[in-house]
Amino acid sequence: MSETISLSLTINGKPHTVDVEPRTLLVHLLRDTLQMTGTHIGCDTSQCGACTVLLNGSAVKSCTVLAVQADGEQVTTVEGLGTIENLHPIQQGFWEKHGLQCGFCTPGVMMAATDLLAHNPNPTEEEIRDGLEGVLCRCTGYQNIVRAVQYAAQQMNQQVAAPEVAAEAEGGRG
Amino acid sequence: MSDALHHLQKNALKPKYTGARVTRKEDARLLTGASRYLDDIEIPGMYEIAFVRSQRSAARICAIHLDAAQATPGVKRILTAKECPCFFGSAEDVANGVVQPALARDVVRYVGEPIVAIIAETRYAAEDAVERVQIDYEPLQPVLAMRESLLDQPRRVHEKTPNRMFHSEYQTSGFEDAFQAAPHHLVEVFQTHRQTGVPLETRGLAATIDPGSGRLTIYATHQSPHGLRGDMAVALGIEENELRVIVPEVGGAFGIKAHAYPEYLVVAYAALKYKLPVKWISDRTECLLTDVHARDDIHEVEVAFEGNGRILAIRDHLRADAGAYSAFPFCGAIGETVLASRVLTGPYTIPHLATTIDCTYSNKTPLGAYRGVWGPIASFVQEGIVDRVARALHLDPVEVRRVNMIPDELFPYTNAAGQAYDRGSYRASLEKALEMLNYDELRAQQKTLRDHGKYIGIGISAFVEPTAMAQSEAGSVPYESATIRIEPNGSVTAAFGLGPSGQGHETTMAQLIADELGVDLKDIVVLHGDTDSAPFGGGTGGSRSGPIGGGAALKAGRAMKEKLQTLASHLLEAAKEDVQLEDGKAFVAGVPTRNFSIRELAQVAYTDVLRLPEDFPVGLEVVARYQPKRPVTFSNGTHIAVVEVDAQTGMIEVLDYVVVNDCGRLINPLIVEGQIQGGVAQGLGSAYLEELRYDDQGQVTTTTLADYLLPVATEVPRMRIAHLETPSSGEGGFKGMGEGSLIASPAAFANAVSDALEPFAFMVSALPVTPDQILAAIDRSRDSMA
Repeated sequence: MSETISLSLTINGKPHTVDVEPRTLLVHLLRDTLQMTGTHIGCDTSQCGACTVLLNGSAVKSCTVLAVQADGEQVTTVEGLGTIENLHPIQQGFWEKHGLQCGFCTPGVMMAATDLLAHNPNPTEEEIRDGLEGVLCRCTGYQNIVRAVQYAAQQMNQQVAAPEVAAEAEGGRG
Repeated sequence: MSDALHHLQKNALKPKYTGARVTRKEDARLLTGASRYLDDIEIPGMYEIAFVRSQRSAARICAIHLDAAQATPGVKRILTAKECPCFFGSAEDVANGVVQPALARDVVRYVGEPIVAIIAETRYAAEDAVERVQIDYEPLQPVLAMRESLLDQPRRVHEKTPNRMFHSEYQTSGFEDAFQAAPHHLVEVFQTHRQTGVPLETRGLAATIDPGSGRLTIYATHQSPHGLRGDMAVALGIEENELRVIVPEVGGAFGIKAHAYPEYLVVAYAALKYKLPVKWISDRTECLLTDVHARDDIHEVEVAFEGNGRILAIRDHLRADAGAYSAFPFCGAIGETVLASRVLTGPYTIPHLATTIDCTYSNKTPLGAYRGVWGPIASFVQEGIVDRVARALHLDPVEVRRVNMIPDELFPYTNAAGQAYDRGSYRASLEKALEMLNYDELRAQQKTLRDHGKYIGIGISAFVEPTAMAQSEAGSVPYESATIRIEPNGSVTAAFGLGPSGQGHETTMAQLIADELGVDLKDIVVLHGDTDSAPFGGGTGGSRSGPIGGGAALKAGRAMKEKLQTLASHLLEAAKEDVQLEDGKAFVAGVPTRNFSIRELAQVAYTDVLRLPEDFPVGLEVVARYQPKRPVTFSNGTHIAVVEVDAQTGMIEVLDYVVVNDCGRLINPLIVEGQIQGGVAQGLGSAYLEELRYDDQGQVTTTTLADYLLPVATEVPRMRIAHLETPSSGEGGFKGMGEGSLIASPAAFANAVSDALEPFAFMVSALPVTPDQILAAIDRSRDSMA
């Protein structure tokens, strides 16, 4: 298995060029090759979603994506979401609303929530639950995850609202 | 002391953090992906291990062919039982003359049992080699059914040992007379099927020799760092001080990580023998095959009761399938049955109880701990009995609960099994839950909806939760320890022997210490999980960390407070009892300007030591241990589930869920509610979804999370939670609460389905209850009516 393929991709805004075995999974590229261990592996069969990252802005389960499929693409992981000094509103929401316990599923859940809010900035509780159906949490019973996403949606809409009041007026998003 | 001063001090002692909804100290690292779980630990030159596992439930190993595996690129070493002669023997197994080898030798006894370990440069390479190992088996007839197994049929799992690995009997005095004299009787068989904890982080172990000291360091996903150290040292034949256990961030545990597993021995042994850093992380299939299973129990129950619903006597023959070996270091089958037999009467004044317990070996995975252990089973049986009595007598299930509930004036109450319950809010929690639900109105609605072909069910579960037991998953360590050190800069470092896996102990323990010392939460660092720095403790399990660990935190906090007061009173030339600690300062009560900051006191204690009072030890360090006087404290509460069952599809939808919980004094309601919500979700899985299925050859057929179904966000209801607080007599008034939600909820969910299907004369007697069972029951009912 010494045969390798060279690929280039952008992770959290930073370009990387790496050599990997063709069979290498994206999650192993992130975790093992690049030592970005914020993305976790929980099931190997794409049920749990702990490994969820954004591929060109869309949530994917990185245990079910070959690294070579990300060649030339943009990947965002939890490490690219926010920093301890400058947390993303989704991270703030999870903190404020106790949306995590052991924290193992949390990076994947937050990436799925990022995708969800990008497509639906004002989700109802039902829409949040639907949107997170592909990620499993064994600790929280999801209730505080829902509250965390609601909190984030509110924060993000406020952030957006201020500069975009004029633009939004026509769109009628309110 | 003047009254005014006394009043002032009393006010000053009002806790700032304890009882408050404090957000967690742990979260910053977890939210940014910076945290280090086991698989994130990188040791230079580390090898990875993959296991060849038994594909047979029962067979003799005739030959193991390793040549092709040995030739696989990247493979460093291969171990079989010959190279790795270690074993674990739990007390229960040893009593039966059985031990479990780290790698199976000669015979395999369950699917997934490790046989060969392959050490390679990468997991990919190790897995390549695993595929090339060939094992010749001579099949044996598998032992799979509990009732037959108890009769040593079709054969013995361990040749020289009867399959019945545990037996006990208990009966209250006068049982038979009371039972026979009762006007009403009913019988039922309750069964729970195999489930497991499924923490999202799989289990594993990494091991390396510390190049400086030559000691073995193991990194483990475990609930009891010191317990694991002791057990591993014995099994490896090394001294306990030669072994350092580090438990990094743990991604959920739920009991399965209270156990030590054969693979752990192999990894540690390989590191010792070959002087290599090695790691093994389970994949999910390995977890579903070999993490301890749980809940494999049968209860054959007979109940005697009166016409008003008063239950007089319960007879129960409890059986549990231990699997091929006792899990290490304790046997889940014995834990589930023995402890269930002690709380079978739940929150009720049922005077008579007779129990017979039989546990058996089988060719299945060992049975061990899953959150709640005996509790979910006992509650399912107990609350199932109450609802059956109600249905038999055409009484409202609430009325039967009211008739039987232990009244407040009887506490402390000793139940029919001899368990001493401390004071709780038994009746109050039931009434409060009914009020939150608007019970009477809902019953009326249920009737109307039934007439329109909509089947709503209300399931009540009033529960008791024995917590903080002297013996539990965390072993027989009946105490916890805390050290507190104030650093030279005035910050506080506390260390515990606990083994948290998401419960937020760094926050709750810091809350308690912050209130004792009058310092800001952010100035406290809580350490745990490293046997080189943490004081010896039992770890986390059995809902003991809050009440026992919290007690240790309070005792250590008070001891440190006393030191600070002594030092400050000397420097301030004031009476010690007049010195208060608040806002990071020690000051004379009523004269806040006469003060020393904690930082200044620390400087004196460490560097300006000539200013210390006579006999005051240099530095600021304390260690405290707390052992509760009671061997157990009981939390209690009531859960009610409201569901709709679709009679066409058998599908169950949860419409509402209320919880009234009493775990004594609350340390952090945010965390308590999070624990409850998670436990209810697991209860939904236990009641409706999760089952480890075996086929007739002993193959596990649920080996991925596509087959073993965990609850998802759309299935778990929004819960409404209320707290009642009946303090325990222990330090701080805390009771444990990690398991009550999973103890109560399966019974609530099961009873709700039974209630919904009353028109079809169906009652849930086996968990999980699934749509196909429901449809079959509806069909049977329609056939019998037609």
